[in-house]
Amino acid sequence: MFGSVEELQKKLAACDYLTDRHVATIVYLALKLQKPLLVEGPAGVGKTELAKVLAQATNSRLIRLQCYEGLDEAKALYEWNYQKQLLRLHVAQTQSKDWEEAKQDIFTPEFLLRRPLLEALSSEEPVVLLIDEVDKSDEEFESFLLEILSDYQVTIPELGTVRSNHIPVVVLTSNSSREFGDALKRRCIHLYLDYPTFERELDIIHLKIPGIKDCLAQQIVSFVQVLRKQRLKKAPSIAETIDWARSIMTLGSKVIDEEIVQGTLSILLKYQSDIDKVYNKVSSLLPEK
Amino acid sequence: MEEKILEFGRLLRKGGLNVSFSQIADALRATAEVGFQFEDFYHALACTMICEKADKPLFDKMFRLFFLTLPASQHGRENGESQLVSTENTGHIIELARSAEGIGQGRGGGASPALLLVKAVQDGNYSLLNQLAQLAFKSLGNPKRKDLANLEQLIVQAKVSIGWYEAVNRLERIREKEKVNESTYSRWLECLNYLEDRIKELLEEYFVITFGQDALEEIASAANLREKEFYQLNNIEIDEIRKRITKLARKLASKYARRYRRAKHGEIDMRRTVRNALKTGGTPVCLRYRKKKLSKPEIVLLCDVSGSVAVFSEFMLQLVYTIQNRFRSVRSFLFVDRIEEVTNYFHNEDIEAALQEAFSKANFSYSGFSDFGKVFTIFATKYLNSISPKSTLIILGDARNNWRSDERDFLKQISEHVRKVLWFNPQPQSAWDTEDSIMKVYAPYCRQVFECRNLAQLGEVIEAIL
Repeated sequence: MFGSVEELQKKLAACDYLTDRHVATIVYLALKLQKPLLVEGPAGVGKTELAKVLAQATNSRLIRLQCYEGLDEAKALYEWNYQKQLLRLHVAQTQSKDWEEAKQDIFTPEFLLRRPLLEALSSEEPVVLLIDEVDKSDEEFESFLLEILSDYQVTIPELGTVRSNHIPVVVLTSNSSREFGDALKRRCIHLYLDYPTFERELDIIHLKIPGIKDCLAQQIVSFVQVLRKQRLKKAPSIAETIDWARSIMTLGSKVIDEEIVQGTLSILLKYQSDIDKVYNKVSSLLPEK
Repeated sequence: MEEKILEFGRLLRKGGLNVSFSQIADALRATAEVGFQFEDFYHALACTMICEKADKPLFDKMFRLFFLTLPASQHGRENGESQLVSTENTGHIIELARSAEGIGQGRGGGASPALLLVKAVQDGNYSLLNQLAQLAFKSLGNPKRKDLANLEQLIVQAKVSIGWYEAVNRLERIREKEKVNESTYSRWLECLNYLEDRIKELLEEYFVITFGQDALEEIASAANLREKEFYQLNNIEIDEIRKRITKLARKLASKYARRYRRAKHGEIDMRRTVRNALKTGGTPVCLRYRKKKLSKPEIVLLCDVSGSVAVFSEFMLQLVYTIQNRFRSVRSFLFVDRIEEVTNYFHNEDIEAALQEAFSKANFSYSGFSDFGKVFTIFATKYLNSISPKSTLIILGDARNNWRSDERDFLKQISEHVRKVLWFNPQPQSAWDTEDSIMKVYAPYCRQVFECRNLAQLGEVIEAIL
């Protein structure tokens, strides 16, 4: 797939995803060792994006499973299409078949609703399976994932074992709102995505907002970087930096000053308590000229 | 190299990380993929061997000492020379310190490294900070092997030698006088932290180089936060433990949910069973059950906040309030030799702010020395009536009564009123009933007395009350 770390890094960059070498190294290892990649980090640093870009870079299909509380096997793996089966039975009744034959009829792939996990396993082409926000799922689901992630196969009682043709690239993301069991953690390669460094964030801003003046971009990024060091409920993410930069561009200002920041603070900070905390300190947080 | 990695895994375990065999196997495969180029090798090991971000600092430290410092020491010994911190550097710095007079903003008054430090911090001059760290380290001479146990003290000594406290004082004054803004000030703090870390690093390197493997293992087990006693923690570790407590709390909360789920079947719910039977033509094939009610304990915390016990009480309060919804109600009291209820401070969400407010505002100390007898007297007369008889009362304290009257009858009265009394003692069991500790006087009135000296034990006792 990829011969070296550098190649992977370049491919990702070609898809507009800038990474540090160490991120590329870890992703490369996950691909090479064929192990699931568990990406953790604060919201909005590009965890989901990484999976999407990875699919793009490897020319594979992206299959996404969004986790939520109460997600179960029926929603994640497969389910029998009962309605269709019932209809089939009704039709069969008129033809008077015995039970064994009828069973042969209704428990066939035709009546199987493939959910993301089964789809990823049975896919003919290479896929990237993104299991998004695993921390939102229940513990039962987590232990159920274990089987799939370690053997890349699943057993459907009526049909037998489905084994994947290609081992899919699995990316799990988490905001660590819940602790995982050790078993799941041990099966994964760990990647902690943190907020980007000053230079990296500056690059991203330039990439996403072509035409922004370099000195404004620098001011914006350095203010956001300082802001992240404050004790906040939720620190501004990259997406918020971009939004903020866009809105400042829209307002047509060339520099950021106290007034502008105070006026647009709600784009960066999403909690009222955070805004209150920062509002009066803005001038002391601004980069020196 | 494979042996080295195995050895490294063992060392991490000693430091309190759970590194499994399969993780080590992965690490071996990963390093084979990326080769031994330094950066890649490091990330290959890191992404396979550590499961949590919180474990990273420890991993980094062990990695540095094991793969960089330790080989240097063996190499050095073979050649019969010791590769200690280069001496020419420190000679240079002493000169610099002398010339600091000149740059000392016209203050004059002796060549002090403190002035140099102030300047380095103000300028954010990291190479100068680095040199200062070496100077500080040099001032210790050659510490002995047994000094490793008192690493913290050595660091303080080293800091004193370069006028750390004087410099911090000066910086604070400059900050007030010149209205230094927040972002600059946080840069200063970064510099100071860097210097402190650097001194510690130098010392650890020195011990590993001079005394080899053996010292490294001691450093590893000293870094094991889960097993570290609460009263030995320094500020950085306290912060670290706070973070871990939040995690521990989440873990405990979900564990509890699982246990409850297993036994969720209560009585048969007739209405829903009959309703459900319609599906199967009136035959009740599937029984429906009523959900079992969760029994949530009511908790009353009495927290000793005198001296060394305060840290422990703070951890406990943080833990309990983080998983507050697992309890029917939580009431908390702080005491030293007076006692006052602080439940109200915890109504807002920010636990840390609440803790600060409670500690600064509540009236719990008269003389500053704990007096359990007095506290039990006040509690029994003033608050006991309003405490529910169903509640579990938890006392956090070392039972060191400063030779005052024990007033055990009041504790007896309290224990008869509530469902049970538990006592969590942050001192090692061997220290109970020595000097002014009167644990055995109070123990008969408690359902159980737990030793609770470190994070691991704290987790265990909380499980006991859930």
